[in-house]
Amino acid sequence: MVKLYGVEGCGWCQKTKKYLDSKGVAYEVHDVELNAEDAAACEKLTGDTAVPVLTVDDKNYVLGFDKAKIDALLGL
Amino acid sequence: MGIYDFTVKTNKGVEKNLGDYKGKVLLIVNTASKCGFTPQFKELQELYKTYKDRGLEILGFPCNQFAGQEPGSNDEVQTFCRANYGVTFQIFEKGDVRGETAQPLFKYLTEQKKFEGFDENHPIATKLVEALKQNFPEYLEGDGIKWNFTKFLVDKEGNVVARFEPTTNPASIAKDIEALL
Repeated sequence: MVKLYGVEGCGWCQKTKKYLDSKGVAYEVHDVELNAEDAAACEKLTGDTAVPVLTVDDKNYVLGFDKAKIDALLGL
Repeated sequence: MGIYDFTVKTNKGVEKNLGDYKGKVLLIVNTASKCGFTPQFKELQELYKTYKDRGLEILGFPCNQFAGQEPGSNDEVQTFCRANYGVTFQIFEKGDVRGETAQPLFKYLTEQKKFEGFDENHPIATKLVEALKQNFPEYLEGDGIKWNFTKFLVDKEGNVVARFEPTTNPASIAKDIEALL
C-alpha cells in the first residue's frame, strides 16, 4: 500500500494527492499533525520533519512533490 | 506593563502566564501556521535542543496573516512543508500579530523593539520586499511585524533586548542567546 504522510492545509500534500489520483494510484493518508506515531515514523524514515512524504516499503521514500521521483518510486 | 504581565493560551487551550518564564531567556517568534518560510522551524528546534538545558525557552505563536505569500528563494525551490509538528518548544494558540487585531503581546513587543530594516544580504530579502510591495505595501511601513519568523529576544529579567527580522536565520542568533544565558 502506498503511504502518504502529510498535514492538513499543506499545498504540496494536496498536489501530491491530486497527482496520485490522476494516475489512479490508491494510497492511505497519515496526518503527522494529528497522530504522534505517524509523526515519529515519518521523521525516522526521512530524518526530517517535512511533508509530503511518500513511501511504499518504509525504506525508500520521496520527500516533497517531485513528479519524476514519485514516478520512479511507484514505477509509473 | 512588562512581559511577565501577559497571559496567553497554548495550542491546547491552556492559559499560560508569561510570569512563569521569569529567570529564563526567551525567544518569542511568530511562526507560520502551516507551510511558511520552512527552514526556520528546523533551526529554531535546533537552538531549543542546544540551549534548553541552560535556560532558553522558545515561544512560537502561529499566525495566518502572511499566509499564501511565501516569498521563496531562487536557490531553494521548495516542494514541501515543514509545519509546527516535530518541534518540542511551546506553540501557542493561533492569532494575529500585526494591525488592530494583533495580540497585546505583539503590540508590546513591537513597541519595545522597532523595525530597523531587513538584512539585505539574506537570500530571501529581495524577494520578501518585492512580495510585500505587491501584496501588502502597508506592511512595509511602521514597526509592525513584517512577516513570519520575526524573533524577539528577552533576557532573564524580562527586558526585550533584541528583534531579529525574518531575514535573520535562527542559527545566527545563537551567540546573542549565549550572551544572556
